[in-house]
This record gives sequence, structure tokens and C-alpha cells, in this order.
Amino acid sequence: MPHDIDAARPPRWLASAGGAAMFVAPLLALVLIWAIAVPLFGINPRVFPSVAAVGGAAMESIRDGTLIEHIGASLLRVGLGTLIGVVTAVPLGIAMGVSPAVSTFLTPLFRFFSVLAGIAWIPIATLWFGYGFGAIIFVIFNAVFFVVTYNTLLGVSTIPMPLRNAAASLGAGRWALLTEVLLPGALPNIVTGIRTGLGFAWRGLIAAEMIATNVGLGYMLFVARDFYRTEVIILGMIVIGAIWLLIDRLLLVPLERSTIERWGMVRRA
Amino acid sequence: MKTLELRNLKKTYFDPYAGSHVTAVHDVSLEVQQGDFVSVVGPSGCGKTTILNMVAGFIPHSGGEILLNGKAINGPGPERGVVFQSFALFPWKTVLDNVGFGPKMRGVPKAERDRIAHEYLALAGLSHAASRYPNELSGGMQQRVGVVRALANHPEVLLMDEPFASVDAQTRMTLQEELTRIWQERRPTVIFITHDVAEAVFLANRVVVLSKGRVLDQIEVALPRPRVWDDLIEDETFKRLSAQVLHMVRSA
Repeated sequence: MPHDIDAARPPRWLASAGGAAMFVAPLLALVLIWAIAVPLFGINPRVFPSVAAVGGAAMESIRDGTLIEHIGASLLRVGLGTLIGVVTAVPLGIAMGVSPAVSTFLTPLFRFFSVLAGIAWIPIATLWFGYGFGAIIFVIFNAVFFVVTYNTLLGVSTIPMPLRNAAASLGAGRWALLTEVLLPGALPNIVTGIRTGLGFAWRGLIAAEMIATNVGLGYMLFVARDFYRTEVIILGMIVIGAIWLLIDRLLLVPLERSTIERWGMVRRA
Repeated sequence: MKTLELRNLKKTYFDPYAGSHVTAVHDVSLEVQQGDFVSVVGPSGCGKTTILNMVAGFIPHSGGEILLNGKAINGPGPERGVVFQSFALFPWKTVLDNVGFGPKMRGVPKAERDRIAHEYLALAGLSHAASRYPNELSGGMQQRVGVVRALANHPEVLLMDEPFASVDAQTRMTLQEELTRIWQERRPTVIFITHDVAEAVFLANRVVVLSKGRVLDQIEVALPRPRVWDDLIEDETFKRLSAQVLHMVRSA
């Protein structure tokens, strides 16, 4: 009886709820250890706050709207900087990847700048753009740009030659080769680049906000330090980590599933 | 009417490992009539794939001429369709869009190129796979898509580079039979590169035996069509021709 087979399989929402539970379980375990350890060892709140204190700080900052304000400011910056970075990096990476000579020549350069990307640029960015929005956007752009360019370049140069030949022998011109073969062919690497770049950007953002602004999650951490408010610092750290996990799980993973995993270009992680 | 003509074709290239120039194709002349089916067979390193890549326009030739309908070829072009050993299907396109790619490049509107693609998929018995992605298909099915993708673009010459070398033996026989059937229906001009002697004889009207970058001999295959393995495997003419080609290839 076919419906028996269906009944044996858990429904879709339950399966995804199960997956989410598996994902959250280790994080909850960490919170549990924290909740036990702080009172057990009588840790000074100036050294490390209790779970309740952080929960209280969360309620307070949600109620007065400051948490949302900081999150909003940080997300806007990271979103804008990443967008500018990706939009400029992908065409450049493809243009460079088309020519093997150019890509071989530029690879060391882009590896060099990929390592430097993000935080190391904060001092000079504040000299160029002053303290504020411009410097932070530059740092994020920078974190994304070099990594995405390098990965796009790598992606284009590793597209199997028969695919390019096939397109040419089916009548594809330069533009069609670009949009129909090079861009989708480089997509697995572009996605990897964006993922790595966003990671750099998120860290770079927090660092830049500690120095160059008066709103945002990094600023929230840094100011709390001046008042010994460890519960706000830890709250900020949790929010920073949680937002990254959400971006990854809700944005990047579904994007990969519907494209490069479906096409069999990468194996499901 | 002759479609394709190779005149004293030559290819030399610099081998960075040997540190010297190597001649892959010495002096090859060949004529292929419109609607003909020619197999090119030879041991590995005889230059057969190099010749195909030059005719396809993927690599330049060092000497001689490649004429298509009397005109010198220049780079790859849609009048020379290619079927690759590695299939070379676009992983990010469905089977339907892979087959419709050539018409798309010609500017055929979406509805019309879908109709064309469906027609050619039906020819290869692949209608059910239209909305699949290539990685969801077996090797044999992928290469069927590769063949009809090239055909759907109505090339004047179909260049096939050991297309069945990477599928299993049973599937290979089926694909060979299907290819001869499709050839009889559509009469494309085909150049088929292979190292498999039986395959070369089974498929072609003429077998060109290549050795060390030169044409050793050309053998007419006057076997009746349609060709089916169950019949030909016992056929005296087929056996004799295969043996003849085999001796040539082995002594080459």
C-alpha cells in the first residue's frame, strides 16, 4: 500500500524542524554549561556575566530599541558593502579568467590582497574616508572584493575546455560565452568567494565599528566595555554569531541547494 | 557533392616537456561527400583527435587547408557540430535547454527552439528526460543528449570525437545502433573518430586508417543498412573488413 510508505516518512516540516533542532542542540548545551558554571564557581559578573544578566540586557535593549538600531546599522553596512564588492568583483574576475596569461599573472596579487582583506585596511581607510560610514563601507567592500574576484577568476579558469568549445561550436559569440558558460560555470567558486568574503566582511565590520562610528554591534560591544557591562558585551557577541549563522543558513545554503548542488557541480555538504 | 576537404593538413606544436617541436599530423588529405559517414581509426597518438580539433576550429593548423564547401574554415562555427568524448553538456542547463542551445544562439524564439529540442529528444528516445539536469542522467543518456544537441543545430558536418568511449560495452552497442538509425533518417555528414576497429566498421561507409599522422589506407564498407549488431556479428563481410582494418592498425 503506497500510503503506508508515505506515512513511514516524516512530513517535510518535521524533518526540517528536526534538522534545526540538531543544529541548535550543541549551542543550547553550551548555554547550559554556562548557566551551571557561573554560579557554581561564583564568577564575578565583571569577569563573566550570568545567563540571567545577559537575558536581562537583551530584554532591556530590545525594549528601548537600541539593539534593533545597532543590528540595523550593521546589516545595512554589510549589505551595501558586500553588494558593491560582488557587483564589481564578478565581472572583473571573469574578464581576468578568460585569459590564462592574465590570470596566471594576477593570481599572486589577488592571493596577497585576499589575506589582507578587511581588518588590516581599517587604519588607512579612516585616514582616507574619516571616521564613519565611508570608511566602514570601504573596509567591507575590500573584504569582499578581493576574495570574490580571486575566486571568480579561479572558477572561470577551471571551467573544462570542452564546455567552452561546445558553446563555440554551437554558435555562441563572446557575449553568449560569458553569460551562458563562464558565469554559471564559475558560480560554485563565486559562491565560495562570497561566503568567505562575507565572513571577512562581518569580522571587519565589527572591528571597524569599534573604532569608526557611534552605532552598530561593534560599537555596542566597545562602549559596554567602558562601563564594565560584561552582559552587554556577551549579548553583542551572541547576536554577532547568531546573525552570521542566520545569513549562512537562510541565505547562502538555500542559494547553493537550488543552483550548484542541483546541477551536480558540488556535492551536498 | 563534396562538403569537407582536407588538403595536406599538417600540425606541429612545441612540446615543453621534450623541449622540441613535435609533428602530430604530417600530411593528411581527405575528402568527405555530403551525407557520407566516415570513420577515422588509428592507435592512440596517430593524430586523429588533433585532426578533429583542427576541423572543429578549436586549434589552428600549421599547414595545408581545411575547406568546407570550398571555403577555408576560421575558428569554431555552428556549421561544424561537435560531439565530445566527455559529453560536454552544460550542467546548469536542463536537457531541453542543452539541446535548444544551438537554436538559441541562432536567435530562434523560446517556443520554437523548445519545439525543435523536443523533436530531437524524441528522435533519441529522451522525451521523458527533457526537464532533467545532465548530472541526473546515466552516461549513455548524457551522450544521446550530446548527439542530438549537435544535430538540432543542423550542422553541415557532424564531428564525433570518440563519443562512446566512456560508456559501458552494452550501452555502447545500443548507441551505435541508434546512431546508424538517426544517420539514415537525417543523413548528416559525419566524421567519427575512434580507436575501436569494430565500431569504425559498424558505423561507417568508409574507414580511414591513420598512422603516425598520415593516412595509411581507406576502406569502403559496403554493408547493408540498417545495421544491427546481432546480424553483423555473424556477417562474413563485416568480419573480413574488421580483420583487415585491425591488421592495418596493429601493424601501423
